[in-house]
Amino acid sequence: MDSLFLVLKSTVTLSAPLLLAAMAGYTSERTGVINIALEGKMLAGCLAAGLVGILSGSAVLGVLAGVTAAVLMSLLHWLLTQSYSIDHIVSGMAVNAVSFGATSFLYKNYTDPSKVTETPTLPLPAYYAIAFVVPVALAWVSSRTRFGLRLRAVGGDPEKSRSMGLNPGAVRFKSLLLTGLFCGLSGTLIVSNTGYFTDGMTAGRGFIALAALIIGSWRPIPTMIACIAFGFLEALQLQLQGTRLAGAEIPRELWNVLPYLATVIALAGFVGKSRAPAGLGKP
Amino acid sequence: MKFKVALLVIAAILILVGAVAASGVPLSVAGESIWRGCFGSSRSVSGLLREVVPFVMLGSAVFLALRAGLFNIGADGQFLVGALTSATVALKVPNFGGLILGLLGGIVAGALWAFPAGWIRAYRGGHEVITTIMLNNIAALLATSMVSGPIKDPSQESTTTAILANATWLPMMSFGEVKISLALPVAVFGVIGFAYWLRRSVKGFELEATGANAGAATFAGIEVKSVQLRAMVASGAVAGLTGAIQVLAFEHRFYSNFSPGYGFDALGVALLAGASPLGILPAALGFGILSKSATALSIEGIPKGITTLIVGLLIVILAAMRYRRERTSG
Repeated sequence: MDSLFLVLKSTVTLSAPLLLAAMAGYTSERTGVINIALEGKMLAGCLAAGLVGILSGSAVLGVLAGVTAAVLMSLLHWLLTQSYSIDHIVSGMAVNAVSFGATSFLYKNYTDPSKVTETPTLPLPAYYAIAFVVPVALAWVSSRTRFGLRLRAVGGDPEKSRSMGLNPGAVRFKSLLLTGLFCGLSGTLIVSNTGYFTDGMTAGRGFIALAALIIGSWRPIPTMIACIAFGFLEALQLQLQGTRLAGAEIPRELWNVLPYLATVIALAGFVGKSRAPAGLGKP
Repeated sequence: MKFKVALLVIAAILILVGAVAASGVPLSVAGESIWRGCFGSSRSVSGLLREVVPFVMLGSAVFLALRAGLFNIGADGQFLVGALTSATVALKVPNFGGLILGLLGGIVAGALWAFPAGWIRAYRGGHEVITTIMLNNIAALLATSMVSGPIKDPSQESTTTAILANATWLPMMSFGEVKISLALPVAVFGVIGFAYWLRRSVKGFELEATGANAGAATFAGIEVKSVQLRAMVASGAVAGLTGAIQVLAFEHRFYSNFSPGYGFDALGVALLAGASPLGILPAALGFGILSKSATALSIEGIPKGITTLIVGLLIVILAAMRYRRERTSG
């Protein structure tokens, strides 16, 4: 019974950053902006939250810095795709490269290895609450509010929405602000868990979130379920570590590979058709 | 539009100057150590030419897919499984046969790793970028689990294989004191042959037509889906071969975190190359210089992350100049 409770508890903690990141992907991709740069935006959030938190000693300033950094990276993605009309994939790769490079550079340049301190954090349950409320809220917003309908209209067919008097660029600006906000929160949560920044500490969570979004067919609640399932898998793996099955230990990598494998299978259309927004990647 | 690109270039330069200034190393010192690191001695020239090989080959792999209208973001993963496979084979067959089988193994592994992405894109309509990203992560996990278990050298503390037998090494050639691998001339002639193939052969034309406008190519009677699948698999094969060469010609072993982020670099080389494959050669040389410079600068105390930052900014500028997706009217 105790171990079951432990697994459930770590499911919550492990799926929270995924949920936030996946919803960041949702707001972006639902308006037609392909976002393979979630990872980079989260990493920017991690670094800013960790560095500013340690330097200022204030948890609130740390969170603000983390969110601001991720929002700035998100707006860079908006600027490149919307104003410079760069292909969304190329822009995403560029944002990732800039984030990976800049965070590693800044961290090494502004951290004194002899003085390791932990960044102050807000109470973690606050993050968990936000992470589990956001998908439900987004499900409501996207189907019941003017902003949500516009968001989906632009993602469905930017050209048609343009002729209906919408400005896709403006709608996407707002949605990418939200993407930055959620990525920033996710990054801040990740850095709060360990206390300080390390190179590449998001460890592919941005891509797992993207996987959840695809398996969830770009809808908030199914995506949420996918995130929780991935979190549960990871929690189960931690719990089962060292136990043997048929005489051999299951390698950790075998568990970790499941989300990626599931996504490839979903993309191949073996388990129902995953429906992408029709306007993905269109100007 | 020219003005906007100029704005980007200026912003990128300001960021870089700011970064170097923040690290507190004077520009003249940085410039001198870059020169020494790349061209200062026959050793550094040999090192530079060694760095260029994976850039030429991975750049070609991504370029090939790009001409067919596909983004092979998976070059990194295909490179990894290629390297992993050839190291495993060469460990098992420690003679000249191991070299040949290792090279073939790398090609086959890379091609197989790219196949799902090409097939899903062509026949299932799933975006090749997402598939290749997922396959990259799977490749990284596979490599980690193999090198920390089945093919790990038990006598070593770190996660690495044993050094491969001498007989499986790809030969080096000496020009005075400068040593270059046989792989370099092969890669260079490969690019020249590729350029000729793309311009002069029917298959090359079909590839270009598919990339330029898949709809029009279908009307012209080209089997677009088959071209896409074959382009992706060929791209993966080249990336896998690159991994095999990295093992058999240079590293002579496989270890964890084998790829130093080649995915970004390969895309950068392919974008920098422009419209002709021949552009890959100077682009790869540029990336080789960048990579050697980073090593030199890290000795002066400028963190290595600056290269990835530069590559990112470079991709932005190149894409703004020539890889845009314009709004079509109607």
